[in-house]
Amino acid sequence: MTRHRILVVDDEPQIHRFLRPSLSAAGYEVFVAHTGREALKSAATASPDAIVLDLGLPDMDGKAVIAELRGWTTVPILVLSARDREAEKIAALDMGANDYINKPFGIGELLARLRATLRHVDRTSSISTELRVGGVVMDIPAHSVTCRGILVHITPKEFELLGMLLRNAGRVVTHRQLLTSVWGPGHSDDLQYLRVFIGQLRQKIEADPDRPRIIMTEPGIGYRVVEDDALSDV
Amino acid sequence: MAKTKLPDKRRPSPKELLELANKEKLGKLKVFLGAAPGVGKTYAMLSAARAQKAEGVDVVVGVVETHGRSETAALLDGIEVLPRTSLTYRGRDLMEFDVEAAIARKSKLILIDEFAHTNAPGALHTKRYQDVEEILRAGIDVWTTLNIQHLESLTDVVERITGITVRETVPDKVVEQADEIVVVDLPPDELIQRLKEGKVYLPENARQAIDQFFRPGNLTALRELALRRTTDRVDEKMRMHLRQNAIQGAWPTAERLLVCVGSGEQAERVVRTASRMAAALKSPWVALRLQTAEESGASRSSRRRTEKALRLAERLGADTVRVSGKDLVGEILRYASQNNITQIVIGRSRGKRLRGVFGRSLSEVLTANAKDIAVTVVAPLREERVERRFRLPELSTSIKALATSAIAVATAVAAGVGLSYVTPLPNVSLLFLLAVLTCAIRFGIASAISASLLSFLAYNFFFIEPVYTFTVTQPYELVALFVFLLVSIVTAGIAGRLHEQADLIAQRAAATQSLYDFSRKLSAAAKLDDVLWLLAHHVAQSAKGTSVILLRDGDDLVIKSSWPPEDTLPTPDWAAARWAFKNELPAGRFTTTMPNARFNFRPLGSPGAPRGVVGVEPKDAAQTLPPLIEAELQALTDQGSVALERTALVEQSAKANAAVESERLRNALLSSLSHDLRTPLSSIIGSVTSLRALGEKISKDDQADLLATIEDEAGRLTRFVSNLLDMTRLEAGALDIRRDWVDAADAARCAVSRAQKVFADFPMELKIGSKLPLIRGDASLLEQVLFNLLDNARKYAGQESSAVVEVVQAGDEIVLSVTDQGPGIPADALELVFSKFYRVDHGDGRAAGTGLGLSICRGVIAAMGGSIIAESPVRDGKGTRVAVRLPVSIQPENPSRQSRTETP
Repeated sequence: MTRHRILVVDDEPQIHRFLRPSLSAAGYEVFVAHTGREALKSAATASPDAIVLDLGLPDMDGKAVIAELRGWTTVPILVLSARDREAEKIAALDMGANDYINKPFGIGELLARLRATLRHVDRTSSISTELRVGGVVMDIPAHSVTCRGILVHITPKEFELLGMLLRNAGRVVTHRQLLTSVWGPGHSDDLQYLRVFIGQLRQKIEADPDRPRIIMTEPGIGYRVVEDDALSDV
Repeated sequence: MAKTKLPDKRRPSPKELLELANKEKLGKLKVFLGAAPGVGKTYAMLSAARAQKAEGVDVVVGVVETHGRSETAALLDGIEVLPRTSLTYRGRDLMEFDVEAAIARKSKLILIDEFAHTNAPGALHTKRYQDVEEILRAGIDVWTTLNIQHLESLTDVVERITGITVRETVPDKVVEQADEIVVVDLPPDELIQRLKEGKVYLPENARQAIDQFFRPGNLTALRELALRRTTDRVDEKMRMHLRQNAIQGAWPTAERLLVCVGSGEQAERVVRTASRMAAALKSPWVALRLQTAEESGASRSSRRRTEKALRLAERLGADTVRVSGKDLVGEILRYASQNNITQIVIGRSRGKRLRGVFGRSLSEVLTANAKDIAVTVVAPLREERVERRFRLPELSTSIKALATSAIAVATAVAAGVGLSYVTPLPNVSLLFLLAVLTCAIRFGIASAISASLLSFLAYNFFFIEPVYTFTVTQPYELVALFVFLLVSIVTAGIAGRLHEQADLIAQRAAATQSLYDFSRKLSAAAKLDDVLWLLAHHVAQSAKGTSVILLRDGDDLVIKSSWPPEDTLPTPDWAAARWAFKNELPAGRFTTTMPNARFNFRPLGSPGAPRGVVGVEPKDAAQTLPPLIEAELQALTDQGSVALERTALVEQSAKANAAVESERLRNALLSSLSHDLRTPLSSIIGSVTSLRALGEKISKDDQADLLATIEDEAGRLTRFVSNLLDMTRLEAGALDIRRDWVDAADAARCAVSRAQKVFADFPMELKIGSKLPLIRGDASLLEQVLFNLLDNARKYAGQESSAVVEVVQAGDEIVLSVTDQGPGIPADALELVFSKFYRVDHGDGRAAGTGLGLSICRGVIAAMGGSIIAESPVRDGKGTRVAVRLPVSIQPENPSRQSRTETP
């Protein structure tokens, strides 16, 4: 298999200092950029398979970098940001970033996110009729969901919502993304819909709905379906 | 089309709903109205109150006069009676109703007899109805009694019917606002019967007048007045109800009434007539003050009369408007058509001046020119025709007038006699005319008239043959003499009026100038104290007396400023000031609330948010403030209020700015902490997890590098945390700074060697001057300062650069400096770099520091008595030099013996 090429964009030399050997050891080819301009240039010339982008860049706003990238490429972007910058993260995700990771982070978490992001690209390129995560199997043509082998009764809206989450398994999906794709753009602020429907879905597919293991909440940002192999093969 | 009706006529207007809403918060007023004393109002009120009490309502008696009637007294049995407060007035103890106690008692309902009663001097308000208003404002229901003759607008009617002048009056507006009126009716015959049986209390001294009063004719007329008034009111209440509930009814077309208030003797009567007409029409009405250009020179008494009539109109519920101009009729009609006036009421004037121009009186011209407007002309009463225009001036004024005119005429005589020796003088009368004119211009009309009369006599006596007699032989001389008298009187009149007008204009100009000065100075006053001082000064100046300003401080008022300076107030004035503040209404002298206070207080600040009161005490003890001064004071108070608001806003915005600034600092701190803690932590956690998770997959070299990263970043974290702690300690004043003898060169050597270990890739050069004296300070902190400076130099100048550390003596100071060859600091940031969390933005994203280092350095050096500054550029537009200057103290006698000088 060809090695995935990762572009790491961060202004802190210390971050590069540990990311470069770690990512290399994990089997990726690493490119480095320290500024937004550099990142845009590298993204165009080195054609990376994924970009790890710090939002706090000295020369331009990280969100502006995403906006420019999304003008011509769908390359997966993984955003590095601080935990207390929800608004920034949401904005980045809504502008087209594929996922985010909070600083400081462990290398395992970063690698898992990278894999999920890269796999998503592979998955969308092939047509699949079945989605499976954590014992939940979704048969799209049959419009049916089985959980640990048992057929679950599910409404059309729940089906759409679960489908959206499963297709993006391993990645965060923002509230807005879920609301606009399932309910339409007129409902992008109706968070209460999500609360209700996610609650119902958890009742149906989680072993213990009070301690969800499949549909995880990303506080203030959205939801994430956890993949089976989250940390298993690091 | 008959069905088309304006929809807004059917619906309640917002104003009406608002009135209703306001009313609901207030207590309810119920008036027991009778035609005359003795009809049983108090009895009826007490009976009704007993019924309420039986239903469990909390009823108390505020004031009830039983006048020794046993049946009335019996009704009081079982109802709580509030104690009265005693007031001492001219040695007599008077028992008066205690408003404050009544409000404090907070009953549901209070009975207060005799609505029209006038309180004893020294009470809170002049009139009892004002007490009642205050109680209503406190949300307590009030029941009271009233005889019809006490209604303000009816006093002249009552006087015409009964021949008795009623002094205790209640404004119609107050009674109109009553929620309920109960007529206590008794046919006149029965009332007279009761009177004969001695059931009606009559004060001894008024017995005769009252006997006159209780005649069947009078009583019938009064009874009719009372009943009609009540019917009108019931009608009004019905209309209100219909409108508030949007019930369609037959609304009368909207009438608007206008009354012209002039300076005539009958002005007040015209106003009363208009008020009654307006009440009957249920129409709003406007009192128009007429003022011609020449009238501005009118006598003081007529001006006072006009003001009085206007105030009466205000009390009776009219809006007042002032109109001035040459063409009065035109102005009146213009106002009327602009304001949809349907009826004009005007008194029949003597119209002297107008007659001179048009040959007709004002009312006649108005009637002739009015179109689509009904004009009601109120005829004067016969006795009002008695024109006492030239009422004798006050004694002091007339003596002064006489004296000045006598001197002027004597001078004219002397000049005439003197000149006649030199040359024959055929027109000696001109000299007397000169004297008359001089008096007119200098001393006013009274002096001028007296001068013309004196001149007439003196001219005759001294200059007309036969001289030294008052006899005139030649007829032409007699004619000349009388022509002279006529000319001099007319001239005197014109010149005198001119003089008075000039006086008035001068007064107005002075007032305007004073106001102008005030507003100009006020706009320059930035601080509250300046504003207060200006206001106090100008108020005192315009009233020609003293002033005091009290502002709110917590729950009470405190004296903030006064002119002349004074820091105490008499007790009644405190009460008046507090009342004025609380009720946002004028109080104290010249008002009906606590009129025996020394000062007249008026509220300062915007409506609903009073900030204090301003008190004024004019020097001369007049009964009222002259309108001009009153207007000026009002203007001063208004402007002062605006200025107070402004200063308050300025203060608020300064506070808000400070809050924003501290918020900005807090955010800077948070983001700095967040960044500076997170970045090394990210590296450390990332490296550790990489080593653990990927272990053998990483090359040996990379493993070593990851470990080095961990070490370096942990060191960085440590420095940051210790900086943070130093800063905290420095700010809390807990940083322990020693005052030992320190060798600065030694400190520099230590700092450089420590920095060299940490930043191995950053070359440093150390230059030390010779024979450096010792300084007083803390060696370890000084070393830390230099280390921080080196750290900064490396961070901001870049690793490719280098630093020079220099220690030299300059005069009586030791200068320690760190110079780098980096890009330098912009000139405007040279000072800023020492403030907390400030970082120069180099735009390359490299090595953003904590923003704490330099501010810690400055704090430490300042604590050692030194200074620290940054200079940039140093050479060729590049480089930064940070210099620490520490004073050289008197050297210890034998430094070698000082064991404590050694640096740790």
